[in-house]
Amino acid sequence: MHTTIVRSPRALGPARKSFIRRNLPYLLIAPSVVMLLALIAYPLLFALRSSFYFWNLQIGPEPLQFVGFENYVQAFNAFDFRAALTNTLILSILGTALEFIFGLAIALILLKALPGMNVVRALLILPTTIAPIVVGFLFRYLYDPGGGLLSWVLQSLWLPVPAEGILGSPSTALAAILFVDIWQWTPFFAIVLYASLLAVPDEILEAARLDRASAWTILMRIKLPLIKRTAIIIVMLRFMQIFNTFDTVLVLTRGGPGTSTRTLGYSLYEQGLVNFNIGLVSAMTWITVLIVNVIVALYVFFAFRNEEW
Amino acid sequence: MTIDIGNMSRRDLLKSASVAALVAGAGSLAVPRRGAAQDANTVRVLSVEDPFFFSMKALVPEYEKETGIKVELESLSYDALQSRLVSAFVAKTSDADVIVVDQMWLGQYLDNGWIISLNDFIAKDNEFDLSDFIPEVLYSSNMWRGQVGTLPVAAYAQGVMYRKDVFDELGIAAPPTETSEDWTWTKYVDTLKSMEGKSFGGKPLFPTVVCGSQPSPIVHMFTQVSASHGANWFKSFPAAPWDFAPQLTSPAWIKSVEVYRQLYKLSPPEAINYVWFDAGTRFAKGDIGMFYWWTPYFYLIKNSGYMTGKKSDIMDKYATAALPKAEGVPQTVSLGGWSLGIPSSSERQEAGYAFIKWATSKATQKKMALWPDLNYQFSDFARVSLYQDEEVKAIYPYLDVQYAMMKQGNGKVTRPPVPGYTAVESVLGLTLNQLLTGTEEPKTGLERANSLFESILKGNLMIPYQKDSYADTLDGAKALMVKK
Amino acid sequence: MSRRHTSFNTALTYAAGLLFLAIFVGPILWFIALAIRPAETAFTMPPQLTFEPNLDAFRHILVDPGTNAPQLVNSLIVAIGAVLLNLPFSVPAAYALSRFKLRGKKNIMLWYLGLLMAPPVAFLIPYFILITRIGLQGSYFSMILVLQTLTIPFSVWLMKSFIDEVPVELEEAARVDGARWYTIMLRITLPIVRPGIIVTSMFAFVFAWNNAAFPLVLSSRSTATLPIGTLGYFATSGVTWNYIAAAAVLAMIPPMIIFLVFDRYVVRGLTFGSVKG
Repeated sequence: MHTTIVRSPRALGPARKSFIRRNLPYLLIAPSVVMLLALIAYPLLFALRSSFYFWNLQIGPEPLQFVGFENYVQAFNAFDFRAALTNTLILSILGTALEFIFGLAIALILLKALPGMNVVRALLILPTTIAPIVVGFLFRYLYDPGGGLLSWVLQSLWLPVPAEGILGSPSTALAAILFVDIWQWTPFFAIVLYASLLAVPDEILEAARLDRASAWTILMRIKLPLIKRTAIIIVMLRFMQIFNTFDTVLVLTRGGPGTSTRTLGYSLYEQGLVNFNIGLVSAMTWITVLIVNVIVALYVFFAFRNEEW
Repeated sequence: MTIDIGNMSRRDLLKSASVAALVAGAGSLAVPRRGAAQDANTVRVLSVEDPFFFSMKALVPEYEKETGIKVELESLSYDALQSRLVSAFVAKTSDADVIVVDQMWLGQYLDNGWIISLNDFIAKDNEFDLSDFIPEVLYSSNMWRGQVGTLPVAAYAQGVMYRKDVFDELGIAAPPTETSEDWTWTKYVDTLKSMEGKSFGGKPLFPTVVCGSQPSPIVHMFTQVSASHGANWFKSFPAAPWDFAPQLTSPAWIKSVEVYRQLYKLSPPEAINYVWFDAGTRFAKGDIGMFYWWTPYFYLIKNSGYMTGKKSDIMDKYATAALPKAEGVPQTVSLGGWSLGIPSSSERQEAGYAFIKWATSKATQKKMALWPDLNYQFSDFARVSLYQDEEVKAIYPYLDVQYAMMKQGNGKVTRPPVPGYTAVESVLGLTLNQLLTGTEEPKTGLERANSLFESILKGNLMIPYQKDSYADTLDGAKALMVKK
Repeated sequence: MSRRHTSFNTALTYAAGLLFLAIFVGPILWFIALAIRPAETAFTMPPQLTFEPNLDAFRHILVDPGTNAPQLVNSLIVAIGAVLLNLPFSVPAAYALSRFKLRGKKNIMLWYLGLLMAPPVAFLIPYFILITRIGLQGSYFSMILVLQTLTIPFSVWLMKSFIDEVPVELEEAARVDGARWYTIMLRITLPIVRPGIIVTSMFAFVFAWNNAAFPLVLSSRSTATLPIGTLGYFATSGVTWNYIAAAAVLAMIPPMIIFLVFDRYVVRGLTFGSVKG
């Protein structure tokens, strides 16, 4: 195990330093930060300003009047807000958790390094490389009640498939959307966790084995703590991505049946690009950003409490 | 862990702006900009890929040859088109010279000044004749506040399609081809019920099929039933002064939901998730007895694939009929379809008008109908004369039925094209979708939808309505057509 | 551990491997089959496993009328452009975050990731307005630029974990020889982290390639990308599954080839900075 020695700029050169040298790290970071700020600040500020105006493109081309927090009130009272928030939380929490667990299980099996398993590993990543919208079409086909492979497999296994079809029944539609996300992203977790576990130095594991630690103990006490940071990061990444899901919902169910698969991302799409209520969608954007922010901030606070960088 | 804009100094902003400008400059060198390579002899047309598009596209080379004008024809999915158009309007850019306008969008596009009125063009144009158009279509899809905002390139009504062979075998009398007091929604449901539990050709038969997917598909199909029953969305529209107090709790709505619920019970259960084409595709597969839908399905069900032109199994086994009506209520048929308009940001409005005139002309529409590829896929005429054209009728034998439906059409009542329509449509679609599967009383669901309508319309400053009202009428449309 | 026990374990592992392939690759193969099967065999119950394959759908999307062939090129331009623009921004940042002691490094690192929490779909209209103001509407570059909000944060993280792995002693040695910092970065560190650049570029490529939201409003007729083209076959009046599948397969191929070709780099690199000293 090698150690990366982090040096301060002072250690890098002679005592007399130019401006560039003194601020070198910041100058290297600056382009990306400025670029991202420019790209992300504009829409966020645009949304912040618009959220306090009545601005509905179907009613008039320009913002009509200042309405204070009226758009926020409307967003919270919208017929689908509670359902969308609940579904989004279910999808993102369950999705991230299940993808992590399945991914870890697959990673551990891949680690056995049997001949030929390399091929399995190489092919496994494929679902993650497909566009979500294409995955939506793929599963619309698989779920079809009149010829979908998945419906048929479930029927053949004597599992009850609702008469309305998997996507047509309120009891299965959300689970079906969840399954699509799990299908697409479990391989990503599997490969990342595999790569990280592979980097765990053998010496440590050997020592543990000599101490007759069980496989379970080794996993929980040694392997997982060593890849903790990777795990924290990819869980956070995926959580944020699922939270904003809209394209698979758009292709698969359009939020139905009823409100059973409505997500915040889909509601944003509907209010923004179908109803063109810019004021309302701006308020919803900020509500969404704030909710994710709080969740992620809490998560980061607890997850990184004892981490040194 | 916040995206902290508060800390962004003015200098940061300036810096970011200059970086953006810098990369933008570099980018425009490397990349051809939209619009840069255009000359005055080009007309840009933005369309959806509905059936009319394919035959229109096939005829465009002919138009280019005749006029020397180059047509840049772009087609998009409905969602993509709507997103692109409105973004372009907001940014006030010239994205196209001719755009396809859904009937629902006409009012907002004209009111917002996004498309221009065609009145002046038509008044100046001596060779142009409005009088061949079906007045009901112009009134429903193209007129707003007394202006002709667009011209119809494909007009849809709704009608019934049924299986002749199934009806024969089960000994069911064929439904009439003209609206009649004996052909009611009650009779329609009874006819369907007589097919319940039967099988045909060794396969179980479903009496009918509906669309259950929210928001638009279910609303498009359901509103035909509600329009037949005389249901109104609002207290006063299109009659002036406009009053958008929602009326969803009236008996006509409750009755219509009961009818539609029965139709769903007689459909395959997965119809709850069916969008527009799913219903048609299902009928073309051969296990449905009878259904009603937009008139393009009169020819679309001949084919088994949308863009393939492969013939379906039922190609020669179906016939069309008039829509049922409600007892004692004059019939109203839902009208819809696509029209062409000119964005106000276009710099080549004359060229745009010339293209629209060509695409909606009798000659072009006839050629589109006679275009044989895709197994003849166009009979959505807005012109009276084409419904009487023998050559066209030989290919599309159902045109009399279709015309009879058109003449009873009123799109301003079935799906009122008022500003903010999609927001209330999504509430109605959701409620109907819930009412199909649930056990809730129609009245309870409709009351809930009614109060949601009210709060949305108030939030959108539609209740009370503050702008000027304008009573568009069918007579007004007729008067406009005669004037020319 | 007895030998029998071991071979049972081995068999179990292989069985699991086959199950994974069935679950994760099976559906993809089934979708590819949809693109080459006769339309009438697409929706049958039970599903029809055998059929006479044909390339009609591919002919339609690529040759006649071939709507999707230029879109394939557009997708390539946008994705490669996004990768090329991404590197000069993310690599220096990752280098700085890996090699220097910075105040608030943790917060900076998290800030990058936090950008990914903004809902892209809500930003489409503001982005369109922004892009129009700088006169880039409908250009490839507008999409390449906006895509950086997705690619840069991810790339900085990934790249940093690769640079972390390079022993700092190598740079020390060069420094003793009097080399400047940029010479060291360009001549010593970057060549060693070439696998990292490859993996970072792969992910940036895939993110850009698969994005459907931005091209929805930012592309024009001549710059539309493949996901937009796929949506086009899902019209209101009908859907043509064979064409959807063919266009989708076309959209799947480049990322898949890239991942299969560069497979060995993926495994070495995707650690996001765990397991180092």
